[in-house]
Amino acid sequence: MERPVFQPPTTPVEELDTPALVVDLDVMEQNIRTLHAAFDGSKASVRPFITPHQCPQVAHVQANAIGAGDAGNTSIAATTVGEAEVFSQAGFSSILVANQIVTRSKISRLCALASSNRMSVAVDSPGNVATLSEAATAAGVSLGVLVELESGLGRCGVIPGEAAVQLAIEIARSPGLEFIGVMAIPPVETATEAAMRQRLQPALDTRDLLEREGLPGNVSVAGTHNYNVAAGIDGITEVQAGSYPLMDFRYCQLRPEFQPAAKVLTSVISHPIDQSAVLDAGHKATGPDRGTAVLEGIPGAAANRFSAEHGVVDLEESAFARLRPGDRAWLVPNDLAMCLNQYDYIRAVRNGRLEGYWPVAARGRFT
Amino acid sequence: MTQLYRPAPGTPVEDLETPCLILDMDALDHNMDVMAAYYEGRSSKLRPHSKNHKTPALAHRQIRLGGTIGGVCAAKVSEAEVMVHGGIPSVFITSEIREPLKIERLCTLAQQAEMLVACDDADNARDLSRAANAQGVELGVVIEIETGLRRCGVQDAAQGVELAKAVQSMPGLAFRGIMSHQVIPAMPEREDRVTEGRRVIQGVIDLKDAIEAAGIPVDIVSTGETWSYDVAGEIPGVTEIQGGSYLVMETGYGYMTDFHYAGKVLTTVISAPRPGVAVGDAGQKTIATLRGAPEVEGRPGVSVESMDPDHVVFHVDEGASLNVGDQVTLIPSQQDATVSRWDRFIGIRNGRVEAVWDIQARGCHN
Repeated sequence: MERPVFQPPTTPVEELDTPALVVDLDVMEQNIRTLHAAFDGSKASVRPFITPHQCPQVAHVQANAIGAGDAGNTSIAATTVGEAEVFSQAGFSSILVANQIVTRSKISRLCALASSNRMSVAVDSPGNVATLSEAATAAGVSLGVLVELESGLGRCGVIPGEAAVQLAIEIARSPGLEFIGVMAIPPVETATEAAMRQRLQPALDTRDLLEREGLPGNVSVAGTHNYNVAAGIDGITEVQAGSYPLMDFRYCQLRPEFQPAAKVLTSVISHPIDQSAVLDAGHKATGPDRGTAVLEGIPGAAANRFSAEHGVVDLEESAFARLRPGDRAWLVPNDLAMCLNQYDYIRAVRNGRLEGYWPVAARGRFT
Repeated sequence: MTQLYRPAPGTPVEDLETPCLILDMDALDHNMDVMAAYYEGRSSKLRPHSKNHKTPALAHRQIRLGGTIGGVCAAKVSEAEVMVHGGIPSVFITSEIREPLKIERLCTLAQQAEMLVACDDADNARDLSRAANAQGVELGVVIEIETGLRRCGVQDAAQGVELAKAVQSMPGLAFRGIMSHQVIPAMPEREDRVTEGRRVIQGVIDLKDAIEAAGIPVDIVSTGETWSYDVAGEIPGVTEIQGGSYLVMETGYGYMTDFHYAGKVLTTVISAPRPGVAVGDAGQKTIATLRGAPEVEGRPGVSVESMDPDHVVFHVDEGASLNVGDQVTLIPSQQDATVSRWDRFIGIRNGRVEAVWDIQARGCHN
């Protein structure tokens, strides 16, 4: 795993060993206030989605903010059973695995968690309902189950409407399972408010059909990109959101009311010719698959070429004298989840000084 | 602390929790044997790059099989720490190390192992010298020359000679030689690789000649990698080749048919929601995709349609089928960036787990 040199609290940020994943806590807290304000007085609550950041300390700040359900709320959404196990250890006791869990061994781990936590899971096939029911019954636990609806992402989920109702009926009559609602994950996209509403409408229509069948339930939707629209729609009960505390370059273009709180601090290791400087952070330190990191705050300088271990900055004439060997520079990750996937620790910083090392405790819990 | 998944030896591959990074042991052995056989008995030797596997046990295996210089390359100081603490006696850090804290750590490693480091600047050499002298150790310095990658390195032989002279005069430093990295040209034809390899490596040889003409001996000429292993290895004067990709392999290097795909990711289908679509549990957090989607192994009519951080979406042709619970094997396009996302290799032979290796230097960015 990552082997940082643990520097003492109050160390100035520019003295941190690099590359370092740094989170500005003031920015993070402001981002959390911004999103949660939309849920103050809303019937919907925020269910912190921990997959983008994998860090229990960040999730605790989210869970303690206004609009995250009742006081002392410890609800989160996760993607893998391994993440749920880590966050259960960190004190979260109502965990939605917002994904399909189909193999016997993972279902048995889910049931083991359900003996002391409120566990719920998404399904989109009758076969999966049967295996979950069998395992929950054998383990003597109850699993909450949501029907995932295809909502434009082209990934998992049943088509909203009758197929979803049939699956809900199947869940409701399966021992060991409790039908608790529907889940919709619309794509992250630039869209008007009307278009965002349109993406979510089939989930609301499906809920109406279910109520007529005597199966009332929650409507749980993602995410940071449409939080204010979702918070204002009557009938949506929770919003799974996780990118907003730390944000990333791409998301900040869509949602400029948030600022990037997580950045990679890097050092210049070579400035071999006037026109270029070389950074000690490359693909492995930034997670570039969904877009490469963006160099911040140096006019005339752009990080245009990354390789596995290095980033090469092109300098215009006005910036020839910048980025001398040993200088620090900031990279804003393009995709938060891909970047945090490369680190075991967040360096938590406030007012330019280190507060502590926060473990990215669920990193690598792919199973 | 919750424990990471570690299957018992003997576990059948179909019972593995997924996603899972596996190493096909037959392919791994083959790849190591090819390299060892090539370099055994030659004057040039392989110095395997540990940034590709980040695993001391695999570094020891590479060295044991022969054909190597008896040490490894590393990209970062923390990676070198894992290798030295794991018992590797000689480590060459193929990047410039500039920060005072890192230089101190480098010198501390030199108490335990032979340490070599790349350098392209006299100020950096002075910092290295001061720290090595203060700790009472010797660092081997290898001057990097730029030969087409447009990254680090001195720009020409004259700069290189000047830097070599400067290094030679500094206490705590031993001038050991020169190195260069090249752009990987993705040339399927061996003939083209020979031409291109000779062309880029000539710049390194010219620098060696120039430094020797100035009366300074050059022990190490380190250049070449997997694509040029059998080109650089035949150029007189080249002493070390920095190969690493050959071990795990990737579809990006598919044209290097001497080597077989050893590193693969297993995924399980978690949803088959519509005709022609199936979703697997391995996303971009587990497979590097910057140089292309992974290939599906052994399932005609199934291909990767898209990936997000936690999922892979398959396109399933009419006539092919993929059901919930099915296991699919993916071959990544880029091995080192894939390996750097995992904590464990699961070694598989004859369909069962043979070995589990911790990827100890995963996350060693600094």
